[in-house]
Amino acid sequence: MRKLIIQGTGMVAVFLFTWFALSEVDWMSIFKVEQITKATEEKLGKTIWDWFNHSEKEIRDSEIFNTVDSLLTKVCASNDIYRDQVELHIVSNEEVNAFALPGNHLVIYSGLINSSENESELCGVIAHELAHIKMEHVMKKLVKEVGLSVVISMSTGNNGGEIVKEAAKLLSSTAYDRKLEKEADLMAVDYLINAGIEPRHFADFLSRLSESQPEIESHFAWISTHPDSQKRADYINSYREGQPQEVVAVLANGTWMRLKENINNLDDNF
Amino acid sequence: MISIKRFAYEPGEHELEKASNSYVMSLVAIIGGLPFPIINLIATLAFYVGNRKGTYYVRWHCMQALLSQFSVFLVNTVGFWWTISVILGYESVSNQYIAYLLTILVFNAAEFLGTIFTAIKARKGVHVEWWFYGDLTNLICKP
Repeated sequence: MRKLIIQGTGMVAVFLFTWFALSEVDWMSIFKVEQITKATEEKLGKTIWDWFNHSEKEIRDSEIFNTVDSLLTKVCASNDIYRDQVELHIVSNEEVNAFALPGNHLVIYSGLINSSENESELCGVIAHELAHIKMEHVMKKLVKEVGLSVVISMSTGNNGGEIVKEAAKLLSSTAYDRKLEKEADLMAVDYLINAGIEPRHFADFLSRLSESQPEIESHFAWISTHPDSQKRADYINSYREGQPQEVVAVLANGTWMRLKENINNLDDNF
Repeated sequence: MISIKRFAYEPGEHELEKASNSYVMSLVAIIGGLPFPIINLIATLAFYVGNRKGTYYVRWHCMQALLSQFSVFLVNTVGFWWTISVILGYESVSNQYIAYLLTILVFNAAEFLGTIFTAIKARKGVHVEWWFYGDLTNLICKP
């Protein structure tokens, strides 16, 4: 019996030793896993964004773009995120919505800018979407919802328009699961603190929109698809409490108001 | 890892074929059930149950084939569900994951070659006992 136990233990030890020894090899580099994954994501992101580009109107006004870009750049620069890696798109749409696409595309609807009362609220949403991007939630969600084979098929160009449309709708109008949303919220708070932006404004934004009238809730996609907004606001506030912070203004005086005026003028033209 | 020993008695021709078939069964199941490790185990278990009233030599080799399949089943099951988690996006591909796949590949290959060798030897009436599994079989399977 003793011999048997020694032999069994030895066999398990050989297995574990082989596994751990092989784990020391950098297989990810040998098989170029990260490069292949990145290339796949970029292709997929481009395919899905192209679909949006056909159905939505992207705002190309340089003043609007540069103002939002300043906010994004501030959050990125304060958190060691390369701004050039993120592709910002501002879309003219009255829906209160923002979302991330594969390949680091960040899409913000003009309706969301309009509903933000100050730059910190908009920064909160930007930080939240950046957190989804950095934690690779976008691909996880897509693979989980539509399946790996469909994702690969889309990225290799064998994509039916319907599949791309479904993927685009999924990413733009449904939330991640609660665990991922909470992770993104808390990381967003860290991003905001690092950038010298008060996270309470982000919590206020969630609270305010969750109290919106039911008849206009259909326009608040970012809120209606993210459940328990008030609960989120509460844990954001409690997570933020006790963390030291020096608050700085990102935009120059009057720039925020000018951004909203420009957005309103655009909306009036449509 | 594999040792040739004298069996308790000299098996007859009809026993040799059945004993050899217990290993062949697990080989066929490995090929058929590669993506689903449980298939290998079920196939070998079914063959064992079918021969549980057979002669000692046949039962002994069926048991050794079954026990060896069971440990391969365990490591393959972990690899299978890990792969499913990667496919569904719950886990990412990592050095540990690739190393695990390579490790189970090596162990499956070793088991595969050992099984072929034992199947041939068992057919010729040569009694082959595997390291650990042979002793374990001796403990479980009595004349």
